[in-house]
Amino acid sequence: MTTFVILADAASPADFAAARQQMAFTLGFHIILASIGIGLPAITLLAEWRALRTGDQVYAELARRWMKAAGVLFAVGAVSGTVLSFEMGTLWPGFMDKYGQVFGAAFALEGIAFFIEAIFMGIYLYGWDRLPPRVHFLTGIPVVIAGLLSASFVVTVNSWMNQPQGFKLVNGEVTDVDPLAAMFNPATPVQAVHLILASLMVCGFVVASVYAVALLRDHRAGRPLDPYHKRGFAIPFTLGAVCAPLQVLVGDWAVRFVHDNQPIKFAAMEGVHHTEAGVPFKFAVFEIPNALSLMTSFDANATIRGLDSWPEDVRPPDEIVRISFEIMITLGMALLALATWWAFAWWRHRKGREGLGWNPWFLRLAALAGVGACVAMEAGWTTTEVGRQPWIVYGVMRTEEAVNTAPGLRFGLYVVLVVYAVLAVATVSVLRRMRRRPDEPATPAKELEVVG
Amino acid sequence: MSYPDIALGLILLGLSAYLLFGGADFGAGLWHLVSRRRADQKVIEHAMGPLWEANHVWLIFVMVMTWTAFPPVFADIMSEHWIPLSLAALGIVARGSAFVFAKDAPAAVYSWTFGISSVLTPYCMGAVAAVIATSGSSWLSVAGLYGGLLTTGLCAYLAAVYLIWDARRLGEDGPATRFRAYALVTGVAVGLLALPGALTLDVLSPLTVISAVAGVVSLGLLAARRYLAVRVTAGLAAATVLWGAAGLADLDLDAAAAHDSALRVVFFALGVGALILVPSMTWLFILFQRSPKEQTTAAG
Repeated sequence: MTTFVILADAASPADFAAARQQMAFTLGFHIILASIGIGLPAITLLAEWRALRTGDQVYAELARRWMKAAGVLFAVGAVSGTVLSFEMGTLWPGFMDKYGQVFGAAFALEGIAFFIEAIFMGIYLYGWDRLPPRVHFLTGIPVVIAGLLSASFVVTVNSWMNQPQGFKLVNGEVTDVDPLAAMFNPATPVQAVHLILASLMVCGFVVASVYAVALLRDHRAGRPLDPYHKRGFAIPFTLGAVCAPLQVLVGDWAVRFVHDNQPIKFAAMEGVHHTEAGVPFKFAVFEIPNALSLMTSFDANATIRGLDSWPEDVRPPDEIVRISFEIMITLGMALLALATWWAFAWWRHRKGREGLGWNPWFLRLAALAGVGACVAMEAGWTTTEVGRQPWIVYGVMRTEEAVNTAPGLRFGLYVVLVVYAVLAVATVSVLRRMRRRPDEPATPAKELEVVG
Repeated sequence: MSYPDIALGLILLGLSAYLLFGGADFGAGLWHLVSRRRADQKVIEHAMGPLWEANHVWLIFVMVMTWTAFPPVFADIMSEHWIPLSLAALGIVARGSAFVFAKDAPAAVYSWTFGISSVLTPYCMGAVAAVIATSGSSWLSVAGLYGGLLTTGLCAYLAAVYLIWDARRLGEDGPATRFRAYALVTGVAVGLLALPGALTLDVLSPLTVISAVAGVVSLGLLAARRYLAVRVTAGLAAATVLWGAAGLADLDLDAAAAHDSALRVVFFALGVGALILVPSMTWLFILFQRSPKEQTTAAG
């Protein structure tokens, strides 16, 4: 076996860039699928619970279809997740070589949680006509819990990359490995909560947007709104709407955390170039004097460290970080506004005035909310990942030390781009074929043939 | 037994499970491609995982264990063989998604994708395994070609053996007869293909002997139509090939091993995980085996 020569060679700049783009692209793809994989079982259970409580067959039908869609997305998510574990080694061997043992336990736990999720997903799907309704409902709960746990375990690794601990470096060798300290690093709580809320928002708004389009079609055709579409909209949209204000609070927590623990990332996010006191809050073309100092330190004249106080070779590409951060904030606020509209309509409905807000303009905006939530998720991910550069492990290992030096990595990127583009198109087309409202409810016998 | 020894044992166990279960899935994909008869394909689709390709869990387990327990070995293998391993990963993507898409929206393109990627993935993995075992250079070398073909053949053989029983359980006599013929032919072919490997490994080593005996017994059991027993002997014949290859590989594991503190947490997690996983998997299996007649339509 040849000796490991990662530090002796350097990857060509094109291959290094390709490795980063491939990782970003495959992760960005997986993150959306994983979000839906976490959220869809939750809204399915909400619908099934309503069906059990009210005996309403529309809810039962929604639950059944969502779970089938969840099955498809789960399978695609599982394989796109498997690709990521390959890429950890094929793209970033230097990282795995040195630190694999530090965060490996988190992935072992993630694997177990994922397997439990998969098994109960199978039980839930298979048990639909084979278990008593109440037991069947209960078998869905481990799917949701295991999904949340598995996402949290993965996030511990990313938060560890931002706040590495649980090991010592002695003459460049990793010693005193403490996997639990690595997992429970200070960034874990805030990143995990932020990501889980984001996933639920992505799933809620994406699923709701499908039904918003269907409701708009009902409007345009001048027919009464289909109760199937109405409920299919209300459940996921409400989930997204409940998470939106919470996410604003958690987002504030996250920004404060970054300010305290990764000041250079904070400076990039807020576009603070020079260290100064009484920093204004700049957002796109707006500027509020002293506001940034006030917001971060509760002191209008507080000093904030600027990017130029760090050597050039440790600064992240600050424009990308700032713009993606602004995109995330803008979309988050827009989603919050839409959530407020929905809450207001709900409140009026409860008071007995007017029906729920099925206003076409609301529905048009809601139809865009799915895309908006996905873009916000990707923008937030870009902020935290690009904001950590040039480090793969913050302050400890630079990304170029981690990359595979084999020539030709960029061709891997091209192949991956093509395969994933086809995969995305196929997934959407399969889901579209499944989306059509069934004229007759699927019979159990038919179902068996399909899955068998 | 030291912690790295336990970790190595677990990795080999995971690899064996991946070969015996995941490998059979790949082989089933190959037969799905080769046998264009709808009856055969239906048996194959029925025999495969309930909702997704759960057997890749073994692969993920092996990778996580390797990078946790022997980080430099993982980094070295993955970076050196990134091309065949990336192809294998893309094969898994294509296969897994085509499989689930075909269930919900059948189309010929998914069927073809499923079949072709079912051959690509085990070929690439087998090529890498052989190169590691023989300290060879590249997956395109003779050793790589040999490993790729042998692994694909083993998968096809295991799948054919398993599928006979599945076909009979479904009362499909035509497919059962054909899978038996496939099993006999591939069994002989893989046995002949394994010979050069056995010669380099040392024909009289215990593993080679066990593999050869199990292979011959399997052919006898196939001839005698003992379809349940042959599953065991065929599995043994295949797994011993893997163990033999692992024994050949010249990996400096002691120098590469992770700290005990890292492994202790992983072992503990696996132990606790197994307490939840085993009963729930048993439940899923029972539910999956339950015949349609026993269904109630309570929720329907």
